[in-house]
Amino acid sequence: MHTSRAKGKQCFLVLRQQQFNVQALVFVNDKTVSKQMVKFAANITKESIIDVEGVVQKVAQPVESCTQRDVELHVERVFVVSASAPQLPLQLDDAARPEHDEEDASRPRVNQDTRLDNRIIDLRTTTNQAVYRVVAGVCDLFRATLTGKGFVEIHTPKIISAASEGGANVFTVSYFKNNAYLAQSPQLYKQMAIAADFEKVFTVGAVFRAEDSNTHRHLTEFVGLDLEMAFNYHYHEVLDVIGDMFVCIFKGLRDRYKTEINTIQKQFPSEPFRFLEPSLRLEFPEAVAMLREAGVEIGDEDDLSTPDEKLLGKLVKAKYDTDFFILDKFPLAVRPFYTMPDPNNPKYANSYDMYMRGEEILSGAQRIHDPEFLTERAKAHEIDIEKIKSYIDSFRYGCPPHGGGGIGMERVVMLYLGLNNIRKTSMFPRDPKRLTP
Amino acid sequence: MAVGVEEEVKSLVNFLGLPAYKVTTHGDLKVPQLQTSNGRTLMGLATISKFLAKSSASNGAKLLGTSPEEHAEIAQWLEYRVTVVDRSVEKKDVQAMLKELNSYLLDKVYFLGFHLSLADLVIYHGLHPVMCQLNFYEKQQYQNVSRWFDQVQHYPGVQQHLPKVVFVRNSLYTSFDH
Repeated sequence: MHTSRAKGKQCFLVLRQQQFNVQALVFVNDKTVSKQMVKFAANITKESIIDVEGVVQKVAQPVESCTQRDVELHVERVFVVSASAPQLPLQLDDAARPEHDEEDASRPRVNQDTRLDNRIIDLRTTTNQAVYRVVAGVCDLFRATLTGKGFVEIHTPKIISAASEGGANVFTVSYFKNNAYLAQSPQLYKQMAIAADFEKVFTVGAVFRAEDSNTHRHLTEFVGLDLEMAFNYHYHEVLDVIGDMFVCIFKGLRDRYKTEINTIQKQFPSEPFRFLEPSLRLEFPEAVAMLREAGVEIGDEDDLSTPDEKLLGKLVKAKYDTDFFILDKFPLAVRPFYTMPDPNNPKYANSYDMYMRGEEILSGAQRIHDPEFLTERAKAHEIDIEKIKSYIDSFRYGCPPHGGGGIGMERVVMLYLGLNNIRKTSMFPRDPKRLTP
Repeated sequence: MAVGVEEEVKSLVNFLGLPAYKVTTHGDLKVPQLQTSNGRTLMGLATISKFLAKSSASNGAKLLGTSPEEHAEIAQWLEYRVTVVDRSVEKKDVQAMLKELNSYLLDKVYFLGFHLSLADLVIYHGLHPVMCQLNFYEKQQYQNVSRWFDQVQHYPGVQQHLPKVVFVRNSLYTSFDH
């Protein structure tokens, strides 16, 4: 029960179920409703779970304040299934109020920490009910699209013996008498699955990054949607698959989650997400040229800083009218040691990033599948070969050329919906300052 | 203030096609001083600018305006440069100034209407360091100032030694961006 309001012989209830709500009336009448029943209804505490029997009636005037505007319920029997404590830590109406509503500017809003401390109540808002259905939708579309293209879902271990992507940002756990680490990405295992002749694999699982970053877009634990595939002639086969997968996800959200997106827009309005089909693909030198034209000083082989990425997103949007694009052929110097260099131009790599609304959501590449070459590149990056021996050994018994990439599920939803904080798309977020609930 | 005021005066001299003058700065506030050909010293940016414009028979006359109202308006903007533009150091002062200029320039191509005048040159030099620091979002916010500034910096002979400020012609930011 969302709210109840009594006036003498009448009680108005608003009943809420996930994204929707409806008005219900408990009016005294001879046959079914007594004055005591009206009093009982008026005293039910907010958020209690109730069972209601009644007659659905058409209304003369639409009910403006409810999602179901053309009907109301005339209650004949009401039972309390599970009563709520009377003092709620936050009011749902406050939690669902839009941030920048001019009319309601003086009414309270609930700040993020309060919401996260009382997540069970906060998740009940119609907006949050919609958001997490969209999150589920992204996972569903990711799986369905890739399975449709012949990918196999695999599950990779999260407790590993050595830090996979550079030692600084990894959580250590005690593992019986030794130490073990929480995986920063499924990279190694995806590649091992390819070496194990699975050809096209994807995995959906937790990713742990011990980065002390307190920003709007970083979590210490998030869900990674990762894929890896062997290709026959050119790594662009991989890029085409990833680009097409994103188009399918965006179309699926746009077409099948309209109700949810509309609900979310009421509290968090934003520009609708625009994308091209096929996805826009630019090469790194083109991006550098666009930035230089806008007065940014950047070297040919420099990595893009976050402000550069944001500005590039705006310039691409203005020029091509798309919020999503792929940037191919990154400079080799700024990519990890296992990235395959461009055979035609040693300064660049067969490596790509993808952006939504000017923020990076995927980093990927063709991987080196030859153990000797991999050893050479690792040495060039001054990496201790002993530490990555088992990784290099994965490629000793025949491995097809392959490439892939990984995306953060929460970040993709956040950017698709135009939300300003990743904690809005993570049900129970983890960051350097938050370990509960 | 007035880090490049000597350069500015020299730039104005070049623009007007005048022979070089001796320009120095005086005191802590770096007030510019110019020595004229008959040995007198003139002080102050507004004074020097008007003197130079008057000294250049053909180019200068247009810059000074053709009616008493135009003369007065130009004097007003020269005063604005010294009292407001040069003294706006704090972020909030700069923003207030840009807001004021932005609404003033809504319906004018140049400060006096349709023709370049001394007011444009002097405000251009005064605003140049400010415009260099603005990001693209701010440039879009103060759209009229950006449009006027781009117009003036492209006018033949104006920019000279100063770096060009880049403007993007498209709207990059929507009402949803902070």
